[in-house]
Amino acid sequence: MNSKKIIAVAVKLFFWLLLIAFFWWSFTNDMFSRISEEPVQFFNLLRDHLTLVGISAGIAILTSVPLGILITRASLRKSEWLVVNIANLGQTIPSLAILALAMGFLGIGLKAAIVALYIYSLLPILQNTVAGLDSVNPETKDAAKGMGLTPLQILFKVELPSAAYSIIAGIRTAVVLNIGTAALAYLIGGGGLGVWIFTGIQLFDNSYLISGAVPVTLLAIGVDFLFRGIQYLLVPKGLRLAQQAAIESV
Amino acid sequence: MKKIISLIATIMISTLLLSACSGGDDSKEVTVGAKNFTEQFLLAKMTELVLEENGYTVDMKDNLGSSALRKALENGQVDITWDYTGTGLVTYNGEEPIANKQEAFETIKEIDKENGITWTNISDINNTYTLVMRQEQADKLGIETISDLAEYVNSHPGELKMATDAEFANRADGLPGVLETYGFEFGKDQVVSMTYGLNYEALNNEEVDVAVGFSTDSRIREFNLVSLKDDKEFFPSYNAAMSMTTEVYEKYPEIEEIFKPLSEALDSQTMIELNYQVDVEERSVTDVAEEYLINNGFLEE
Repeated sequence: MNSKKIIAVAVKLFFWLLLIAFFWWSFTNDMFSRISEEPVQFFNLLRDHLTLVGISAGIAILTSVPLGILITRASLRKSEWLVVNIANLGQTIPSLAILALAMGFLGIGLKAAIVALYIYSLLPILQNTVAGLDSVNPETKDAAKGMGLTPLQILFKVELPSAAYSIIAGIRTAVVLNIGTAALAYLIGGGGLGVWIFTGIQLFDNSYLISGAVPVTLLAIGVDFLFRGIQYLLVPKGLRLAQQAAIESV
Repeated sequence: MKKIISLIATIMISTLLLSACSGGDDSKEVTVGAKNFTEQFLLAKMTELVLEENGYTVDMKDNLGSSALRKALENGQVDITWDYTGTGLVTYNGEEPIANKQEAFETIKEIDKENGITWTNISDINNTYTLVMRQEQADKLGIETISDLAEYVNSHPGELKMATDAEFANRADGLPGVLETYGFEFGKDQVVSMTYGLNYEALNNEEVDVAVGFSTDSRIREFNLVSLKDDKEFFPSYNAAMSMTTEVYEKYPEIEEIFKPLSEALDSQTMIELNYQVDVEERSVTDVAEEYLINNGFLEE
């Protein structure tokens, strides 16, 4: 146990040092000069990026979670494989191809990029919603039924809290993926920070690349933390402790 | 267990034998590089076919960005590529652009000597940047030259939208230079950046009114677009020539000779035609390149 701890701390320290070294390097080489020189442009791109991610992920959450609840109901169980497979298909198409397809229907710009990102975000949320609801202990549901709860009450008081950890984990995954994938929106004229990333690649200019890529990364990390917080709030304490015990026993 | 050992031994021995067969001292190997648009694919494919005809083993690295390809050439990951005089002068060496074809060629040849890169076989393919509009809209607004466009934009600010790719939007000899030379300005929301190639689609679908283009791009013909005349001669000459590492140039002096007839035959009009066959008629790059070489006697059937 002790040696494990030491290794863990050493690894952490090493990565922190790497991170500090990277930022040291990028600041001393003026790699963020684009942000300081063209703040208006930067905030425009950031706004585009947040719009892309916010709208596409938002609608994906509003679609996938209810859909996941719906297909795990006893009467619709038979359709589960169909819906999950369709969503699987959406995930297997490369993100670039989805962008290109969306462009074919909706033309060039923000709208097509949002639709593509939306399709891309559906599956992880749906999968985790279904998995979470499936993993609820049937005896617990039986007990709730025995206490005279209606199916709706069982859903909101038993099933969803038990599945919350898994559902939010799915949303987290989807949104973080979405933030990275949104960088490709530039290709079809959707704007976003990808404009600077691709400019950096095409011109071999690291200041564009870093000014575009680092904010995207920070955005992804920030959102990840945000959802961890939400997870902490929504998952019942008993389940959280059980989760931790499960993780530590591995 | 014995089976596995014998299998591994067989594989090892056959690999050794194979490499012994292919790796003679007389094997002529070159890597041909290409940028990320049709004309480059065609030129690289022709180069590959002609070299193979002459007994070379060719490795292909295509679909690279301009600067990435140049870096690959500088550090020897790519030996031969077709590049443009204007790009060589302005983008790679930070020199002033030159309008005259021959002068531009001689100058870049001289400058790149120090970078270990040799330019040969200048062609009449002049693939310079251009601004394009839909023919009927340009007629309606009475815009024939970039000066006309500048005047129109200045008197109707915020009306016209422009599509560009990231490279043109930020190159000194790209959009910033055009705006400065002709004295006009698009608003931030008037310029949409997208990957090169979609700009024509966007223009054709009337999502934008002006787009960047390359003067040898077949889509100008396909979508009935018009190239605005560069009346102040801002865009330099971008004639295609072979650009190779000096090392390879000295190692295989015959390459320059081999490509002499081909580089003299190629010109912008030919390139528009070949690009058209790939982009619009959707034929494969290999077919189009092969057919051209065979029809013009650069390659045996």
